[in-house]
Amino acid sequence: MDRRNFLKVVGATGAFIAVNPSTIQNELFANTGAMFRAYERVQLLDGAGAPIKISQLKKEMNYVFNYPHVSTPAILLNLDESTAKDVKLTSETGEEYVWESGIGKDRTVVAYSAICSHQLAHPTPDDSFLQYVQKDKPTMAFERSGVIVCSSHLSSFDAREGAKRLSGPAIDPLASVVIEVGEDDTLWAVGVLGSDRFHDYFKTFKPELKKFYGGKRKGKKLVKISAKTVPLTEYTKEIIQY
Amino acid sequence: MEMNRRDALKFGAVGAATVAAATMTGCSTKAGEMASSATSSAASAVGLGADLIGKHKVVIIGGGIGGMTVANNLKKKDKDMDILVIEKNDTFMSCPVSNTYIGKLEGMTLGSFIFDYAQPIQKHGYNWLQGEVMAIDRSAKVVTTSSGAVGYDILVLSPGIGYNYEAQFPTWSPEKIAHIKRVAPAALIPGSEHVILERNLNNMEDGDVVITIPSGKFRCPPAPAERASMVATFMQKEEIEGKVILIAEGAGFAKKPAFIESWEALYGDKIVFIPNSKVTDVDPDTKVLTYAQTTGTGKKDEDDFEIMKTETKTHKYEVLNLIPLNKASDVIGMAGLEVTKDTFGKVKMNGCSFQTKTDEDVYAVGDVVGHGIPPSGQTANWAGKQCAEEISARLKGGSYELPVKKAPVKAGNVCYSMVGDMPETAIMVTHDFSWNGSAIMGKGNVPKGPNGLYRQTGTAKALRDWYRGLMADMFS
Ligand SMILES: Cc1cc2nc3c(=O)[nH]c(=O)nc-3n(C[C@H](O)[C@H](O)[C@H](O)COP(=O)(O)OP(=O)(O)OC[C@H]3O[C@@H](n4cnc5c(N)ncnc54)[C@H](O)[C@@H]3O)c2cc1C
Ligand code: FES
Repeated sequence: MDRRNFLKVVGATGAFIAVNPSTIQNELFANTGAMFRAYERVQLLDGAGAPIKISQLKKEMNYVFNYPHVSTPAILLNLDESTAKDVKLTSETGEEYVWESGIGKDRTVVAYSAICSHQLAHPTPDDSFLQYVQKDKPTMAFERSGVIVCSSHLSSFDAREGAKRLSGPAIDPLASVVIEVGEDDTLWAVGVLGSDRFHDYFKTFKPELKKFYGGKRKGKKLVKISAKTVPLTEYTKEIIQY
Repeated sequence: MEMNRRDALKFGAVGAATVAAATMTGCSTKAGEMASSATSSAASAVGLGADLIGKHKVVIIGGGIGGMTVANNLKKKDKDMDILVIEKNDTFMSCPVSNTYIGKLEGMTLGSFIFDYAQPIQKHGYNWLQGEVMAIDRSAKVVTTSSGAVGYDILVLSPGIGYNYEAQFPTWSPEKIAHIKRVAPAALIPGSEHVILERNLNNMEDGDVVITIPSGKFRCPPAPAERASMVATFMQKEEIEGKVILIAEGAGFAKKPAFIESWEALYGDKIVFIPNSKVTDVDPDTKVLTYAQTTGTGKKDEDDFEIMKTETKTHKYEVLNLIPLNKASDVIGMAGLEVTKDTFGKVKMNGCSFQTKTDEDVYAVGDVVGHGIPPSGQTANWAGKQCAEEISARLKGGSYELPVKKAPVKAGNVCYSMVGDMPETAIMVTHDFSWNGSAIMGKGNVPKGPNGLYRQTGTAKALRDWYRGLMADMFS
């Protein structure tokens, strides 16, 4: 099923829902429904199985968790400045949607699918081509750092603005992982906003899925209950960043 | 006989030229309907006038990196756009990364470089004509191919390069040129040239491999030095005694410091660079290459310039990879476009655009363009996307200003070169693109890794991932 079909059946099957801002406390950043798909609501836990608290997230550190499928990586960031509000994004095929904001007290916490919207480069347990480049580190992909860079063909994305493309051959923004803060400061992933590339990902990386997840079928399973969230340096052996 | 859509597609897209006419005229939108409309096409062709087998809004010559990018991106912008791609080959073979095949790197077989056109035709739904372009009549707006003539409203040229043996070796007969092409091919145009080079290396005795670097613009400036690296690693692994001799007409070559650093560490003195040397003759029977080397004498003339001397030298080789002067593909000459006066003959462009200066209905992308951007696959991909934006805007009655006109494009080109094996290491260059008022220019930057070296294992992984992504951009 391609994306357009997906969108056509929004609401009809119940598989896709429009998010009503009143149903979720704290800030919510998917409000059009059009490009939003709800998945299992899962809690982000650290490597030792303890809940990740939003207040403990280090500034500008790349954290990785797999969501919504057990093999699809996402990055979680606590930026050192507030995110923009109500960013209007357009997908390559012309659908428009709104990315509302980051979450947390200063709206600095964001999560994005870490599969490049250009041609799917992503962090694996072996190496990572796609991550946030801290402000004090150089990048060749854009005129400033503090952006998400895919070092495969040097595309960059604005972490503050819904991972909107800034430069390079990518056109789509990265898909956003919609996260919420629980009452006790805990973090939860609930869905995906925007044009994800999961379908192509499963088609393209069969050998890799076999190596790390025991095959495509297993890699496609949905994450349930909780997602292990670790710093990128623990998730992968080698970070490739230009 | 029942034929399912998938079979029909394979037949139409990858099949012989006999169905080519059908693939064009019979099919206006869906690739999958091509072969099944074979019978009705003859009838519909009649309406187009005696000589034409079809007419299309946009005709693209060349199913290579530039042409495929334009076609795919035009269809992404408007799935109903009437597009025909003309390509002489029935499968695509990649030049990028093909040197790793020469170096026998893990998993790099001929199959790693071959792609079929069926998938993109099916996915994007443009029309396809397998045939060789023989003539272009811009006033009648007709392209004549070995499979028939086609009309166009807008023509896009991405035919790549040809070789200019004639300019470099004016005394060689056509027979001698043909002979040299068979025994010492340049291998900058993918296909049998790469297969011959690989066979020559496989069969070689101890001795030297000579690779020549021409002057002027040529396809993929780092390719000869990357190839030297891959030949060296091959010889090392096979324990072949001998050197890799890189002979250049100029004083240097692309990414030179990064290559030299890598060669010294990985191959000792196995790779020898001979600068300022013009290849003047080759004797393929005795395997001797003759070149004229210009060197300083150490003496100064009255104006304090060093007095230079030119000496004729010879080198005995086991395997020769003679890369001659490059030129724009003959297709450019057929179109009668204004080109630069150098030996390459770049297409003159209409300002900050991929429209040609000569004809507003003719666009050019890829290696033939007359901008100052490098002749690379990634650049062809960038240019192809820009060109698709221009054409799409124009067909909607608007116009598109290239963002590069306003602000430089960071890393518009990124080009990796594999330099070592076990472990694989690579170097890279990026080019920022900017508009200087008369052409789009590229400014190169060769970075070092965190350990202070140019060559990095991570860069080798990036090279492989870059390649996977670029091919996916065109063929999946
Ligand atoms: C060894 C090597 C390594 C390289 N490595 C890299 C790299 O690492 N990175 C990089 O970015 N680039 C690399 N390149 C450069 C890259 O291959 C070219 O820059 C790119 O292919 C140019 O695209 P194009 O569309 O101009 O030409 P092409 O891709 O060559 O496409 C031209 C097409 O036109 C067709 N054609 C030509 N004449 C006719 C005719 N008369 N009728 C019908 N069809 C015709 C051809 O068959 C071909 O398919 C490398 C090149 C070489 C040789
Ligand atoms: S895959 Fe990320 S830029 Fe190409």
